[in-house]
Amino acid sequence: MKLLKKPPLRVLLFSLLAMLAVAVTGTAQTQPQNIEVRIGAILASNQNDEFDARLKGLEKQLRVLKYRSYRLLTDKSENIPRNGNKVFEIPGGRSLMVTPQEFQDNRIALQVRLTDGKKPLLDTTVRIANKGNFILGGPPHEGGVLVLSISATVQ
Amino acid sequence: MNGCEDKVASIERWLDGELSGAESESLRVHMVACAGCSEARRRLEKLQSTLTGVLSSEAQRVDFMPFWRAVQLRINEKRPWYQDALDWMRGVLPASRLAWVVPAVIALLLAGVSLESYWRGGRNAFATVESIDAYGRNVALLREYDTKTTVIWLYQDQEGENEAAEETAPSGPAF
Repeated sequence: MKLLKKPPLRVLLFSLLAMLAVAVTGTAQTQPQNIEVRIGAILASNQNDEFDARLKGLEKQLRVLKYRSYRLLTDKSENIPRNGNKVFEIPGGRSLMVTPQEFQDNRIALQVRLTDGKKPLLDTTVRIANKGNFILGGPPHEGGVLVLSISATVQ
Repeated sequence: MNGCEDKVASIERWLDGELSGAESESLRVHMVACAGCSEARRRLEKLQSTLTGVLSSEAQRVDFMPFWRAVQLRINEKRPWYQDALDWMRGVLPASRLAWVVPAVIALLLAGVSLESYWRGGRNAFATVESIDAYGRNVALLREYDTKTTVIWLYQDQEGENEAAEETAPSGPAF
């Protein structure tokens, strides 16, 4: 600790720590190895006023859609390697292929392809914040509509 | 003179009138008792006297007017602004403080970068749709600002779509 009493050494130590912080900040934006993608499939309908307690974290977002009832059907998450893809089975015989494309400025670009059997329904590329999500909805299901919450987290 | 080596410097300062009263008195008492120091004093006084004589005689032959004119010129000379700024900087930031300025600037830059990143993170909380192809179907895009929600809504009630579409009461949400 005696060394710390010498101002030039303190300055040097401080500078080194600052440079280390800069290095850490810089490397924080390197491309991740894996992206955890989570797909929550929700049935939205006007048949009753039930709100599934498991959807508490999404309640404010789902209320935007103005349906009366929301029920979680499936909730799956997968680690997808960079430049890889994963097919998620969606209720109603549909499937969703997710391909993480890029991670930049703390945002993840996801290519999402929704198909019904072999018939393509939607092909989109969405850039979302790390740990953020977006809602994809509309396909009819069991007297209501299917709403998908698609979120991604850098691993 | 043994042990009196440091006294020579004091004698020089005494001859130049730089010692305080108490120091002068102490040295004077010492020189009375110490033959070596007394001899050193005598030699230094002789040297000073010789130098003073030489300088006085030579000084009379030197023309100081050009020197004083140059000094006056320097005094009246208008200094450039950056010279004043540099002098001010030297006064405010001596070398020891200047050493701290470098890491402080780094720390400030880091803080700026972090704040910018935080601000950008908040601004970019919305998902942005870069491309979309619904294969001829109608699609609605919604951005809800309170919850920062982006919704892609696919309308599937067109002719020829699956049977379940007909079971659905509304063709789309009322957002």
